[in-house]
Amino acid sequence: MKFLDQPPRFLFFTGKGGVGKTSIACAAAIHLADAGRKVLLVSTDPASNVGQVFGVNIGNTITAIESVPDLSALEIDPQAAVQAYRDRIVGPVRGLLPETVVKGIEEQLSGACTTEIAAFDEFTALLTDSALTAGYAHILFDTAPTGHTIRLLQLPGAWSGFLAAGKGDASCLGPLAGLEKQREQYKAAVDALADAERTRLILVARAQQATLREVARTHEELAAIGLSQQHMVINGILPQIETESDPLAAAIHEREQAALQNIPAVLQTLPRDRVMLKPYNMVGLAALRQLFDDTAATVEVAVDSPLELDEPNLSELVDEIAEDQHGLIMLMGKGGVGKTTLAAAIAVELARRGLPVHLTTSDPAAHLSETLNGTLDNLTVSRIDPQLETQRYRQHVLETKGAKLDRQGRALLEEDLRSPCTEEIAVFQAFSAVIRESGSKFVVMDTAPTGHTLLLLDATGAYHREISRQMDTTGLHDSTPLMRLQDPKRTKVLIVTLAETTPVLEAANLQADLKRAGIAAWAWVINASVAASRARSPLLRRRAANELREIHTVASRHAQRYAVAPLLQQEPIGVERLQALAGDRRMPAEP
Amino acid sequence: MSTIQIFDPAMCCSTGVCGVDVDQQLVDFSADLDWARQNGAQIERFNLAQQPMAFAENTVVKAFLERSGAEALPLILVDGEVALAGRYPNRNELARWAAINAVEERASSGCCSGSKCC
Repeated sequence: MKFLDQPPRFLFFTGKGGVGKTSIACAAAIHLADAGRKVLLVSTDPASNVGQVFGVNIGNTITAIESVPDLSALEIDPQAAVQAYRDRIVGPVRGLLPETVVKGIEEQLSGACTTEIAAFDEFTALLTDSALTAGYAHILFDTAPTGHTIRLLQLPGAWSGFLAAGKGDASCLGPLAGLEKQREQYKAAVDALADAERTRLILVARAQQATLREVARTHEELAAIGLSQQHMVINGILPQIETESDPLAAAIHEREQAALQNIPAVLQTLPRDRVMLKPYNMVGLAALRQLFDDTAATVEVAVDSPLELDEPNLSELVDEIAEDQHGLIMLMGKGGVGKTTLAAAIAVELARRGLPVHLTTSDPAAHLSETLNGTLDNLTVSRIDPQLETQRYRQHVLETKGAKLDRQGRALLEEDLRSPCTEEIAVFQAFSAVIRESGSKFVVMDTAPTGHTLLLLDATGAYHREISRQMDTTGLHDSTPLMRLQDPKRTKVLIVTLAETTPVLEAANLQADLKRAGIAAWAWVINASVAASRARSPLLRRRAANELREIHTVASRHAQRYAVAPLLQQEPIGVERLQALAGDRRMPAEP
Repeated sequence: MSTIQIFDPAMCCSTGVCGVDVDQQLVDFSADLDWARQNGAQIERFNLAQQPMAFAENTVVKAFLERSGAEALPLILVDGEVALAGRYPNRNELARWAAINAVEERASSGCCSGSKCC
């Protein structure tokens, strides 16, 4: 593995949930420790199985791993870090200030920015010289801070008088204000990150076009702020041998090879490693020691008859949706789980039942919406470009609100506008005109705002309402946008995920966030399921068997209703393939 | 010299762009605040999301929150007395409270210029 060649002190593994960052970080840590280096492995994975892998309870203190001499590990739970921070701020005023006020404060401290900064705060001690880490030759992290966080920490405007005096202007950096650390310590941590002699960033990806595009963005963003030493690891590649006598495996293999051949230009110069898909789970030392070794893996999976999966399909969910005759259907989930495709499949199914549907997507590639437009009666398709909308929103804010700011203030405003919340708001605003149509037809959207954003939007909405009540005494008030979203007769939120541990966990977090805003997710859709396809390849069968556990978790623990959509041989573009995705048994199955 | 205290609503970002509609008053006010400070005004600013104790410990502010709720913020105290509530002061008001003379007249961010107020 090139990324383990002459490694610097700090190694960060980054990539979206489910690509195998933690497994690769674990295997790398064992590899280095086996070579006699003293290694500390730091995991922030909420689904962390590092303890399970080594058969040790780890938790929030550095723990020696007895089965691997020279290896220690530490688990950081960012959610717990945020909770501790919230308690520190809110605890003292509980009972002193009105309950609604306290609730409002807590919500402000529940955003993605807060979690990020709290996690970064946990890193600083490990990145700066301290007695805690003095003995370790290498420290491996199974995550990396985002560009947004690092840039904020680098901005003088974000710090001016605020942290020093403990009062002044807030920013996304707010959470740091409650902490005792000095700016110098954060600066030292950021410097360590940007030092190629000390830090290497390993971008972990799968051989999928969308994933690689996302990795390219991460690469550019982090390179721009000085993290120049980057490697890439493509994980979980399906070996060619699996393609014999399994058309699905052959199709996946072909898709993966095409994605690798068309790897974004900015990534082509990076040192690259490939890790093949293994026939076993990444649990236990033996498995992890073999992860980087492609010769050792001999596939020995008992070949029994294909799985007969009897789970509800998308078509059955659509039957229930159709009963209401109209309404807003929002699909929510992390990037890459297939929200756009499923939104299209649902819209097509509804239109086929003779119901009027407006499908509106933020599909970046646009080909899906373009191929659908005009193909079915009752179906209208529109598309917004998230990048364009966000750009427009930023521009508008900078021109109007930022006009009078000085250089530092403007820099801070610009960075605040690069936060993930900004895009969410810009996109949701762009969609809001279409949402009004859902009183008379179905509106299907492939995106939804988080509960956090909705609560903040509603906080201002409440103010608007108060004002309009004072001005308008007719007593005829429409409900608020949030109330519309809370009513399952008018709005159904579908959570989309994959049948893998981390994506399911991430989806459960999204659901919990919505619940805070009083919105119950109406259903879950488990997408791209191998178990729901007829895979014959031993490796895919193995994956299918693993999926069953996750499907069961969703069904029994998370979802009030759910559906499973199969992984298809071909991209589900066009009406016919979308119908195959919905799994309507009245339709001929995919050949 | 009078002390001006600004009690802000809970905000994630100073600019209010994260999460809620951008508030023009807020951005303008930041500029006016800088100006007043540079002219020697003594101004303290507290964010409900970050220094809630400052709200709880001040009897005037606490009573205000109990009566009107957090949505009625901001609240501005001058020497401990309520000077303004529900909107941010403009440059002239800041100058008057802080007894700054030579106010360069400039289109100030009046209450009704924004989209949300009045």
